[in-house]
Amino acid sequence: MKRRVVITECSAITPIGYAKDDIVRSLKEGISGVKPLRDDGLLTDYIHSRVFGTVDYPIAYDFKRLYRKTMGPVAFYACQVAKDILERAGLGQEFISSGRLGVAFSSTHGSPSIQRHIYKTFFSNLKSEFSSIGAVDYLKSMVHTTAVNITRMFGITGRVIASSTACTTSSQSIGFGYEMVKYGMQDAMICGGADEYDTTAVAVFDNLLACSVAYNDNPECTPRPFDRKRDGLVVGEGAGAVLLEEYESARKRGANILAEVIGFACNNNGGDLILPNIDGIITTLRLALDDAGIEAADVDFVSAHATATKMGDVIESQAIAAVYGDSPLITGLKSYMGHTMGACGAIELILTMYMMEQGFIAPTLNLENVDERCGMINHARKLTATDTNIAAIQNFAFGGVNTCLLIKNGSAIS
Amino acid sequence: MQREEIQRQILTILEDLFEFENPGLNDNLRDDHGFDSIDAIELLGEIEKILGFSLTRAEKEKAMTIRTINDILDYIEVIASEHNK
Repeated sequence: MKRRVVITECSAITPIGYAKDDIVRSLKEGISGVKPLRDDGLLTDYIHSRVFGTVDYPIAYDFKRLYRKTMGPVAFYACQVAKDILERAGLGQEFISSGRLGVAFSSTHGSPSIQRHIYKTFFSNLKSEFSSIGAVDYLKSMVHTTAVNITRMFGITGRVIASSTACTTSSQSIGFGYEMVKYGMQDAMICGGADEYDTTAVAVFDNLLACSVAYNDNPECTPRPFDRKRDGLVVGEGAGAVLLEEYESARKRGANILAEVIGFACNNNGGDLILPNIDGIITTLRLALDDAGIEAADVDFVSAHATATKMGDVIESQAIAAVYGDSPLITGLKSYMGHTMGACGAIELILTMYMMEQGFIAPTLNLENVDERCGMINHARKLTATDTNIAAIQNFAFGGVNTCLLIKNGSAIS
Repeated sequence: MQREEIQRQILTILEDLFEFENPGLNDNLRDDHGFDSIDAIELLGEIEKILGFSLTRAEKEKAMTIRTINDILDYIEVIASEHNK
């Protein structure tokens, strides 16, 4: 059984906004969400990169303590975007708790701020702290905390998938959710990812010389995907969720179809855990095209992973050129908000849908002079009014995991 | 510590941290206020702060029979009394 899978709702908390209008305005006006790194009293003095893709606006959470008590900051993000899409969809509680709605959602590694709290207790005098490791600290910090806080809050009883694969966490969530619905295992899935403000992630990439350090005094000028003067990635925070539904049932209930997921692929490089691998990426992109049953020439737009690392962008450009040539427009959306880690695939897919809906493609921010080694593809250099029928969202992670999602514009779906 | 003082502190904790509305001393914690096993463990952490010492595992297990706020007050009085012997 193969069924069509459509996206009927979405919500994203990003460094460039929460409401769709704010995000679209940032994309159209070239507004960056990268800000100076906040001092968290633990690692910031030792980190060379002083920038972060920051969610610096208040979010009015309205969660009862019954639910809040098992949530760290990352679960607040996750539950908020899940709440948005469930409220807008208007699905009845009978369906939500039927076992036919599942959740595919995760984060890079649970809640780092809660994990820090636990470690601090270990390194302090435990006796003087009494029961300072709270009863719920594990529930707040465990790797599947986002997924199960969503199920708990809404009474969801279907499958739970918590794929924590660093930068491909939420693209896998959407891909695996798509497969759940496509093959009839579930009728609908809430899919996405989230990551909270976390300087340990900055420290990790900083230590690997992968973080941007040259623009500490001008945060909005970094990251610079594909640019000659790029100097590394910028870690960010945020969340994104989409509601996937089986096409016929979505149509029958009169749902607004934002896009159709027409293809997904995921593979592993089978070797090095850090270095990008052109063969692995090319294979993923081609497998996604095969899954969708389309040709490379059918793809109008590619949302590149484009972290702005020195080698990653070159390898990705070569892979795009090998598969697509120089036809589709290419944008590195991380240029606006940094690398939102476990959330990036979902956020970049949602931003792509916003651009599809409103008939434009945003340029890669800070792309002033294209690195000649990245010059063989069709970079979006300016705000472009265009109808996008099919888009590819590609993401690659430490561990050699590659993903590609292919979506079709909702207005083109019959 | 006098029972009145313990009661004042416990009611403050239940209202501020556990968001109880109009707690009554003989209310059923679970049925009237949605208090569950996770809350019980969290409350024991707060009780340790009131007492000023860590509870043993056996003392914590005794708390699992608590049903009302009055039970909490009784529990704290007994533990404090045994500790001072």
